Amino acid sequence: MVFIVIAVICFFLQMIAPWWVIIVISFATCGIIGKTGKIAFWQSFLAIFLLWIGYALFKSLPNDNLLAGRVAVMTGVKIWWILLLLTGILSGLVAGISGYCGYHFRMAMLAKKTDKKIA
Amino acid sequence: MIDIQFVVFCSKHKPSFCPIFAKDLLLTIMNKIKALFCVVVPIALAFLFNTKLGNTPPLLKFLDPFMGFWQNAENNHFMFNHKAKIKGATDKIEIVFDDRMIPHIFAQNDHDLYLAQGYVTAMHRLWQMDFQTRFAAGRISEVVGDKAIEVDRYQRRMGMVYGAENSLKGMMADPKAKEMIEAYTEGINAYIKTLSKANYPLEYKILDFKPENWTPVKCALLLKQMSAVLAMGSDEFYMTNILKKFGPEVTKDLFPDYPFREDPIIPVGTKWDFTPLPVPKTPESFTQALTGEVKTKEKVEGIGSNNWALSGAKTASGYPILANDPHLDLTLPSIWYQIQLHAPGVNTYGVSLPGAPGVIIGFNQKIAWGVTNVAADVLDFYQIKFKDSSHNEYWYNNQWKATTKRMEVIKIRGAKDEIDTVYYTHHGPVVYFQKPKYSRANNVPVGDALRWIAHDQSNELMTFYYLNRGKNYADYRKALTFYTAPAQNFVFASVDNDIAITPNGKFPLKWKDQGKFILDGTDPAYDWQGWIPAAQNPTVKNPSRGFVSSANQSSTDTTYPYYINWEFSPYERGKRINDRLTAMSKATMDSIRLMQTDNYSILAQNLLPALLPLLNNEQLNATQKEALSYVNKWNKHYDANEIAASVFEIWTKRLSFDIWADEFEVKGIPMRYPSRDRMVEMILKEPNAPWYDNIHTSKKESLADLVNESFKYSCDSLERRFGPINKDWNWANVKQSNVPHLAKIPGFGSKILQIGGAKSTINALGETNGPSWRMVIELGKKPKGHGVYPGGQSGNPGSKFYDNMIDTWANGQLYDLFYMQSADDKSGTVISRLKISK
Repeated sequence: MVFIVIAVICFFLQMIAPWWVIIVISFATCGIIGKTGKIAFWQSFLAIFLLWIGYALFKSLPNDNLLAGRVAVMTGVKIWWILLLLTGILSGLVAGISGYCGYHFRMAMLAKKTDKKIA
Repeated sequence: MIDIQFVVFCSKHKPSFCPIFAKDLLLTIMNKIKALFCVVVPIALAFLFNTKLGNTPPLLKFLDPFMGFWQNAENNHFMFNHKAKIKGATDKIEIVFDDRMIPHIFAQNDHDLYLAQGYVTAMHRLWQMDFQTRFAAGRISEVVGDKAIEVDRYQRRMGMVYGAENSLKGMMADPKAKEMIEAYTEGINAYIKTLSKANYPLEYKILDFKPENWTPVKCALLLKQMSAVLAMGSDEFYMTNILKKFGPEVTKDLFPDYPFREDPIIPVGTKWDFTPLPVPKTPESFTQALTGEVKTKEKVEGIGSNNWALSGAKTASGYPILANDPHLDLTLPSIWYQIQLHAPGVNTYGVSLPGAPGVIIGFNQKIAWGVTNVAADVLDFYQIKFKDSSHNEYWYNNQWKATTKRMEVIKIRGAKDEIDTVYYTHHGPVVYFQKPKYSRANNVPVGDALRWIAHDQSNELMTFYYLNRGKNYADYRKALTFYTAPAQNFVFASVDNDIAITPNGKFPLKWKDQGKFILDGTDPAYDWQGWIPAAQNPTVKNPSRGFVSSANQSSTDTTYPYYINWEFSPYERGKRINDRLTAMSKATMDSIRLMQTDNYSILAQNLLPALLPLLNNEQLNATQKEALSYVNKWNKHYDANEIAASVFEIWTKRLSFDIWADEFEVKGIPMRYPSRDRMVEMILKEPNAPWYDNIHTSKKESLADLVNESFKYSCDSLERRFGPINKDWNWANVKQSNVPHLAKIPGFGSKILQIGGAKSTINALGETNGPSWRMVIELGKKPKGHGVYPGGQSGNPGSKFYDNMIDTWANGQLYDLFYMQSADDKSGTVISRLKISK
């Protein structure tokens, strides 16, 4: 569920919003419907990993990866698909961490509320 | 206090649970910290990957496939027709793109024509235009931070912005030029308005900055930058040091006012059909110069160009052929942008400079024209005597005169603005009071004022406006009168079978050698005192030899009544061009094309017969002997696979060093070497000149000693680099020609090109400098144009049109240019159309 929600919302929002909406969306989604820390991390990671790689390929394949090849040389990774993986992994990690943080943020807040109720 | 309350609180409520309650409180605090941590980490990540760190672009902002670099990957396989609305357009405009993405603009009036030119140029080259004009204006620190501060200070202190502002006044005073610039500006800004962050040109994303609106002063800045590239050469600081060290006799002998061998642009013996103005009298004093800690540099031959035109008498078609190849620093995106401009009264095709309206080098139905640089002395330094260290007043014409101050505010990314005060005398800005550590400033004397033609009001655009619409020789002559700087040899051919060439620009009326040395800023006799009338600039029409040509050599023989400069580019390229054109008859496009890639070295032809007999064969080792056998068999062409060319090139460079370095490289006194021409003359005619002796040794060296040493040095250095003689010694491999990106971004330049050519040959191709546009125009009932540059139309490294012409260029081929007669012309391939309306 987390996976689909993040992927869909991010896909539409990213058309107009800056890249860091993936952080906001992963955090919020996992903060609301995240079930466990593990799910929060991995589903956020995968959603953004696949979304970014998929969309990058959508732009890059009709270009015969000409630009990706040049940028790969610029960044020093040399080969275009390493750059593609890097794009996916880095964005995935950031989303994953944000999702994980979102989930634990809720847990922390919930715990506090429970405390108050007990008190 | 708190403890007591806590205890009271506990005792009132469930006293038995009290320890657990304390634990709860602790937990609450822990949870708060945890929650805070969970918020801080994602924000920190967002910040980290959204910030430019050193040279690394903001990483995830850059990698984001929705807005980052992936968006700049253009579809290689599908082209679409587009429509656009521009408010400023007065009528319908159609832009047709041919199969090399070259735009052909069809407009109904001049305003729309230049509007569309601005729009389409920005579409392909926005970052380049922006970056080049920022560079010209000394605004690079704004983008890259304080590491560019010396670059910016230099641009400002040389008066680039001051010159551009003056120049703009000249352009805006002319209604035609004003219309052109304003429409062009409007077009660029209309394009910028269509951009969203996702489709900013790639370099903006790498350097992490934004496009800014174009302004008319940027057009002026771009033209000033061309002046800076072509007419900022200045040796007077070095020459003054030489004069002080060696005295007038030696200086006159080693730095003569006319070369030993020359083949001037205006053929020897051409009569001057005007009464010259009186030339100002030479003052009887010499100036002292200040010196700084700079190393002597050998004069590098860099910027140069060739152009020529043959009359119909020498061509197969009976109509003239015109050729031009300007040599500049080669970059991607290309310095030139091909375009066809069609509107009532004009149908011209050629190359433009991104940032200036009109076609600079090109042709139309009736005429063709091209340019090469004139090395005119239009930049002088004046030694200034200030009253005191406040620099508020300086001594001139026997009284104190006030300076004016210009505040240059340099914005620096990530730091406070810097305010640099520049003092202006009536000559111009005092460039430096302290020598900066910056190589381009090496030839600038400290405390001296700069008088430079590029600071004056001017209106070069009108020259191109009239050439674009020119029909005949009279139109050509009229167009040239508008031109100020950088001075160019304008070659011309028309369908009426007229050919002509004119070294043209605004030349100050000088006494002989005025500006060869630093000038005295206190004496009005040293000022520029007028101008050579435009009609009296050297020119020749339809000379009897049937062709005109130029390759940056001396404009005229010694009979020309005015002084333009004491030194021009070496004569070898010009000589080779004239030799070949003289021998040519029934010329076709192909014979001219092959000539543009001619690698024959006149220098080798002149020097080898003198050098080879001096080599002592017995003292050479095996590799050196083998290298010598290559040189003996050499056909004197700098072809890609010639080993002898590599040996000869390093040999003569080293020989020049051996002869001059001991005398001319003195710590603390920056000087330059005598010219190559003077060295050749000395080798051929003065076997016992004192300069061969190395003054740092007790032995007395002869020319033969130096020739042997330098030959061995050449072979040994090649052997050290590449091992025993093998194909790595090939000239192309030693030279390593390539076309780098404008901002030197790795991966965005070309590969190493295996091609021949050398600075002293017609095909003047160095490592990253050479023919930036090769053009051959066959005039006739319908003109036929051929051309290529080492790059492509698009400035986007993610486009297949970024570098698609490089291989054709490297192979010495030309494309047939599609000179369209109407927007529906079917004689070429069209890949897409852009229709613009109000």
